[in-house]
Amino acid sequence: MNTEHSRLEPAKRTRRRLPLLGWRKNDAVLRKVEGSLFIAPWVVGFLVFVAFPLVYSLYMSFNQVRITVTGVQTSWVGVQYYREILLADGGLLYDDLFPFLREALVMIPIIIVFSLMIAILLNLRFAGRAAFRVIFFLPVIFASGQIIGEFIAQGEGSLNVIASLGMDDRLARYLPDAWAGPIGKVIGSFVLVLWYSGVQILIFLAGRQTISGSVYEAARIDGADPWSTFWKITLPGMAPFIFLNVIYTIVDLFTYPSNPIISKVTTENYGVSSALAWIYFGIVLLFIALAFAIYARTIKSMSPRGH
Amino acid sequence: MGKWLWLRNKLVGLEADKGLLFRAFLYLLLVDVAFIYLKPVFYMMTTMVKGAPDLLDPAVIWVPTALYGGHLAEAIKMLDYAKSFGVSLTVSTASAVIQVVSCSIAGYAFARLDFPLKRFWFGALLFTFIMPAQVTILPSILLFKELGWINTFWPLLVPTLFGHGLKGALFVLIFRQFFSTLPKEMEEAARIDGAGAFRIFFRVMLPISRSAIVVVFLFSFVWSWNDAYFPSMYMFGASDVPLSVGLSKLNAQLVTEAQEGGLRAFLEPVKMGASFLIIMPLLVLYAFTQRWFVEGVERTGLVE
Repeated sequence: MNTEHSRLEPAKRTRRRLPLLGWRKNDAVLRKVEGSLFIAPWVVGFLVFVAFPLVYSLYMSFNQVRITVTGVQTSWVGVQYYREILLADGGLLYDDLFPFLREALVMIPIIIVFSLMIAILLNLRFAGRAAFRVIFFLPVIFASGQIIGEFIAQGEGSLNVIASLGMDDRLARYLPDAWAGPIGKVIGSFVLVLWYSGVQILIFLAGRQTISGSVYEAARIDGADPWSTFWKITLPGMAPFIFLNVIYTIVDLFTYPSNPIISKVTTENYGVSSALAWIYFGIVLLFIALAFAIYARTIKSMSPRGH
Repeated sequence: MGKWLWLRNKLVGLEADKGLLFRAFLYLLLVDVAFIYLKPVFYMMTTMVKGAPDLLDPAVIWVPTALYGGHLAEAIKMLDYAKSFGVSLTVSTASAVIQVVSCSIAGYAFARLDFPLKRFWFGALLFTFIMPAQVTILPSILLFKELGWINTFWPLLVPTLFGHGLKGALFVLIFRQFFSTLPKEMEEAARIDGAGAFRIFFRVMLPISRSAIVVVFLFSFVWSWNDAYFPSMYMFGASDVPLSVGLSKLNAQLVTEAQEGGLRAFLEPVKMGASFLIIMPLLVLYAFTQRWFVEGVERTGLVE
C-alpha cells in the first residue's frame, strides 16, 4: 500500500506542478500589486501627515523661524536652541521635566499592577461580573477628556485615608526630597492612577483570553496551589501584554495634552518649540528602549534553560 | 485534622477563585474601585441639579431636596450646546466611520497582503504610534494653513481618510492583530473561486470583523469627541467648535467673570452641568453598545 502510493506520487506531482508554477508566479506579482493598492493610502498619509512634518520640524529646530504674510522665513542657528534648552535655560525643560519623570516612574508600575489585577479579577466567574465590567470601562470614556481635569479640581483625585494616616510626613522623613514630592503626589492622586488605567485593563482583559483554560485545568490536576498557578502560568502568559501595556502607558502619559512639557510646545516660537518637542521625543524613546531592554532580559531569564 | 483541612479548602480554595476569603477580597476590591469610578459621576449629576438653598445647606451632601434646572440651562447657553453638539457629533461620527474603513484596509494589508518594503512600513507604523503628536504639530499647522484649512474641520478629518488622524496607528495595529488571528481558509477558498483581494476584503473579511469594528468605532468616537488638543490647535479662531473646546472656553469665561466681580454665586454646579452635557452623549452611546464592546474586546485579541 505504502510503496504503491509513493510510486504513484511523483508522476502525479510533476504533472500538476508545471502549470501551478506559472500560475504561482503571476499570482505573486498580482498579490504584490493588490497589497500595494491596499497599503497605498496609508503610505501616502504617512508621507504627508507624518514624514513631511517630522522632517520639517527637525529642520525648524535648527532654525530661527519667522512667520510672515508672504510665507515662512528661516535662518540657520544650528544647535543653539538645543543648547539653550539643555544647558542654559533650565526653566523650560528641567523644572517641569524632572518632577514629571519621577511621577511617571512611580505611576507606570502602579498602573500596570493595578490594571493587571483588575483584569484578572474581572476575568473570573462571579455574580455581577457583567455589571462590574460595564463600570470598569467608564474610565475609557472619561479619562481622555477634559472632564478628568474637572474631577481633579474637585478633589476627587485624593484619598482621605492617606491624609489621615499622615503618609506625607512619613514620606518626607524617609525619602530624599526629590522623590518625596512626586511619590507623595502620586499617592495623593491615587484615584487618578485608577482613572488612567482604563485602556490598560481592556488590553489585559483581551490578553487574558489568549491563555487557554486547559493549562489551568492541568495545573489544578497536578495539585498546584493558586499562588504558584499565578506565578507560573498567568504571569508568564501575560508577559507580552505587560510589555505592551508599559509601552502604551508610557506613550499615553507622555503625550497627554495636559502634560507640562507638551503644553510648552506652542506657536509662539516655532524653532524653540520644535527643538523642545524633539528633545522630549528623545526622552520618550529612551523610556521605551528601557522598557524594551527590561522586557528582553526578563523573557530571557524566564525561558527554560537547556532546551 | 480532616475538619481543619476542610475549613482551609473552604476558605482558601483549591483554585485561585474558589475560596471564601478570596471571594470576599474580590468583592471588596471591585466594589471599592467601582465606587471610586462612579462617585464623580454621581457628584456631577447631583451637584448640577442643586438649587441655591441646597448648595448652602451643609446637611445636603448628595441628594438635593429639590431639582433645579437653572445651572443646566446656563451651561447649555454658555456652551452654545445645540451648535457645539452638532459639530462634535459630525466630526466624531465622520472620523470614527472613516477610521474604521481606512484603518481596517491598512490593517488588512499589514496582516495578510504582501507589498514592497513591508517591514519598513511596519516600522513606520510603530514609529507613528509612539511619536508624540507635538513633534509634528507645528509643521502640520503650517501645512494646513498653506492649504487654507485652518478653522475648518478638514485638518481633523482628512488625515483619517488615509488611516491616520487621532490614534490612527493604534487602530491599524488593532485591525492588523484581529485579521492575523482569523483562519486563512476562508480567504483561500474565496481566492480559488477567483475573487480578488478587494472582493475578499469587503465581502468576506469585513462582514466577520464586527467585534474589531465595534471596538475601533467606539474608541475612535470617544477619543475624537473628548479631544480638545487638535481642535484647539487647528481651529483656534473658529466659531463652530466641538464641545471639548467649549468646556475650556467656558472655564476661561467663568474665571474672567469671577475676576470682574463675581456675578455668579455658584461656579461648581455650572461646570458640573457643562461636564455632564459633554459626557452624557458618550454614556448613552456606551449604554447601547457596551454589550458588543465587551464581547469585542474579548474577541479581538485587541493587541499584539
